[in-house]
Amino acid sequence: MSGRVLAAIAALFLVLGLAAAGTAAAQPAGGDAPSVTIQATPGAGVSTASRDIATGSGAGMAILFWALALGTVGGAAFVLTRRNLIAAVMGMVGTFLALAGLYMMLYASFLAVIQMLVYAGAIMVLFVFVIMVLNRPEDEPWGMVGLPGKALAGLAMLYLLVRLVMLVWSVNVPDAALVAPAAVAFPGDAAHTVYEFGSTAAVGTSLFSDYLFPFEAISILLLIAVVGAIAVARPLNDADELPGAQPPAPTGGH
Amino acid sequence: MNDLLTHIGYGHFLVLAAVLFVMGVAGVLMRRNALIIMMSIELMLNAANLTVLTFARMHGDVSGHTFALIVIAVAAAEVAVGLAIVVALFRGRRHVDVDRLNTLKH
Repeated sequence: MSGRVLAAIAALFLVLGLAAAGTAAAQPAGGDAPSVTIQATPGAGVSTASRDIATGSGAGMAILFWALALGTVGGAAFVLTRRNLIAAVMGMVGTFLALAGLYMMLYASFLAVIQMLVYAGAIMVLFVFVIMVLNRPEDEPWGMVGLPGKALAGLAMLYLLVRLVMLVWSVNVPDAALVAPAAVAFPGDAAHTVYEFGSTAAVGTSLFSDYLFPFEAISILLLIAVVGAIAVARPLNDADELPGAQPPAPTGGH
Repeated sequence: MNDLLTHIGYGHFLVLAAVLFVMGVAGVLMRRNALIIMMSIELMLNAANLTVLTFARMHGDVSGHTFALIVIAVAAAEVAVGLAIVVALFRGRRHVDVDRLNTLKH
C-alpha cells in the first residue's frame, strides 16, 4: 500500500515538473505585453471563414473532425476501462483508424496510410497474438483502490490536462499557416487535383535528402529490436517449455 | 461557442492530442496489466505524432512528417521488444500483473 502511495506522489511530482516546464516554455513565446493579447485569442485578427482553410472548408469538415475526435477518445476510453483485453485492442484499432482520418485532414496522406498499415495492421496484430498466448483475465484491473488513491490520481490527471490544454491553446497561429497547400494538377486529368504537401514524393524527398542518417539509424534500430525480441522471447531451456516432450534429436553434422 | 464547434482550427487538433496524451498517462498509472500499459504508451506516442503533424501542417514543412514516420518506426521496435519481455515474464510467472512483479525490489 505504501508503495502505491509513493508511486502516486512520484506521479504528482512528475506532473508538477511537466507543468513547470510548460510554463517555462510558454514564457518566451509570450514575449512582451502586446503579443500577449494576440496570444490570448488564437486567430484573433483572422476571420473565421479564412480559419476554415486550415483543415479544409465548410461544416462538413467540422462534422468530420468531431466524428473522428469522438472515435479517437472513445477508443482510448475503451482501452482504459475494458477488462477484456481483446475489447481493449479493438478500441485501440478504432483509435488508430480515427487518427488516420485526422492525419488526412491535416494533408498528411502518406502518414495516414502508414498509420493504418503499421499500427492497425501490424502492431495491433502483434498485440492480439500475445493476448491469445497469455489468455488470462485480470483479477483486479485497477491499481489504485480506495477513494484517496482515486481522488489523487483524478486530480493529478485533471491538472495535467488543464496545463497541457492551456499550453497548446495559446499557440500563436501565423497568418501564413491558414493557406491551403499548393495543389498541382493530376497528370493527364485536369478534373482532379493532388497536393504536393504530405505526399509520398514529398516525404520521400525529405527522408532521403535531409534525414538520410536518421533513416539509416532506424534500419539498424529495427534490426537490433528484432534480434533482441527473439533473444528475449526464446525459452532458456527447450525441455522446460514442453513437459514430456523429447529433446530434439541432434541432426547430422553441420 | 458555436464558432468553436463549427470552425475547426489548429487548436482543436492540439487539444485533442493533449486529451489523448492524458488518457495514455492515466492508463500507465492506473492499470495493472502490462499489455494495457504498453497500449497506453502507444496512445501517448500517437498523441505526440498528432501534435507533430499539426505543427508540420501549420508551418508547411514536410520535415514533421519525416519525424512522425521515425516515431512510428521506433514505436514498432519498442512494441516488439516489450511484447517479447511480456511473453518471457509470463512464461516464468503465469501472470503479467505489474504490481506483483517486485522481485527486484527486495
